[in-house]
Amino acid sequence: MAREQKSGSETLGSTGEKSKMTLFKDDRAEDVGAIILSVLVIAVVILLTMK
Amino acid sequence: MSNDSPGFLQKLPSALPGLALIILTMVVIRNWIEPWMTNAVILGQKGWFVKVLHLNYILLGIICGMLYRNVVFGGKMPDLFNDGFKLSRLMIKTGIILLGSLYTVQAIVKLGSMAIFLIGGFVIMTLLMVLWLGKVFKLDRSMTGVLANALSICGVSAAVATSPAVEAKASHVAYAIATILGFGILTMFTSPFIGHALGLNDLQYGAWVGTGILNSGQVLAACLAFNPNVAPGTAVSVGEIWNIMRVISIPFAVFAVTVWYWAGKELDESAAQKKSLGTLLIEKFPVFVIGFMGMVLLTSLGAFGDVGIQGGPPASDTIKMLRLWMTWIFGFGLVGLGGYIDFKELAKAGGTPLKIGLIVGVTKYVLALVVVLLIKDHLVAI
Repeated sequence: MAREQKSGSETLGSTGEKSKMTLFKDDRAEDVGAIILSVLVIAVVILLTMK
Repeated sequence: MSNDSPGFLQKLPSALPGLALIILTMVVIRNWIEPWMTNAVILGQKGWFVKVLHLNYILLGIICGMLYRNVVFGGKMPDLFNDGFKLSRLMIKTGIILLGSLYTVQAIVKLGSMAIFLIGGFVIMTLLMVLWLGKVFKLDRSMTGVLANALSICGVSAAVATSPAVEAKASHVAYAIATILGFGILTMFTSPFIGHALGLNDLQYGAWVGTGILNSGQVLAACLAFNPNVAPGTAVSVGEIWNIMRVISIPFAVFAVTVWYWAGKELDESAAQKKSLGTLLIEKFPVFVIGFMGMVLLTSLGAFGDVGIQGGPPASDTIKMLRLWMTWIFGFGLVGLGGYIDFKELAKAGGTPLKIGLIVGVTKYVLALVVVLLIKDHLVAI
């Protein structure tokens, strides 16, 4: 019954696209997105503080 | 099946209005509301909001998010802003990865054994307690399994990660999440008061809420509400390393509950759902933790200059700017998190799951405080 739930990507047990708590396909994709965003933030901060 | 759904980059433009609302909210809070509260004289006391209510940009951000959803928009986020608020967990995870710049490998190793001992002990104790109470209250086995991991590890992620393995229905997950979020919101707002009233320092407070609060976002909020500074040794640096240890244990706890669930059922055609620990580790391991560890490694290697550990040289400009940006990223993420607190959904909590949730949640919260107070002289500072 509940086999199609994607881990960590929904709010309050809903499984529909609209009620997902993320813009990503699932939790794993969101984790990778967070790593990429972190790299971008670090790159910008390093550029801004370069002497 | 879902290959037709647009990818992240295609959805990003639709997230811009919500993102703009989140950013605008935090800019107004930090530039106008927080400074006003710091200087406002109420009941003859300057800064009453800050000194007595312990309000800061983090709590104000969460409150604004909650007001948007439940008051301004009448209980449902409008489609215009919905996609933007879906970026809140991305921002919280990004902030946690960047938080790796507060630690060095040596500090993690020093802290690690104590954190593993405390977190591991509490995860196992909570799991056993929920499974036992589920039996006592004759709660549905699937519901018990979901609740066990929701209460022992990391709230929402753990509940959803466990659900397919124990044949849980969406309503089971909804009950479990409503229970833990309701309890978590309460602890998120009360913990800073209790911490200040007991005179806890950042180390003791971080260890307590990192162990006793159920949800990652709420640990973060409770720590930053206690002390909004982001630096080595502050509440957020302690609480989050505790929390990371707990998040890492998700695949192991999912495995343990799956084994428990299927051990109580006779083998049937659904046995194919049982998964090995190795498979669960590959499927459920929270990958952003690898980003956090990478950040710790880079910091230890001096990639960003001096970290500013107490007694050492001051933090480099890069580290200082990274920390400032982190506070903004967390602020944005927590406005978004507030936008996901739906009073109607919280009202779904009830009956036996709520009873068990409250018994276990309060036990864990109080016991964590007692343990931290007992071992306060042995807590490892970082």
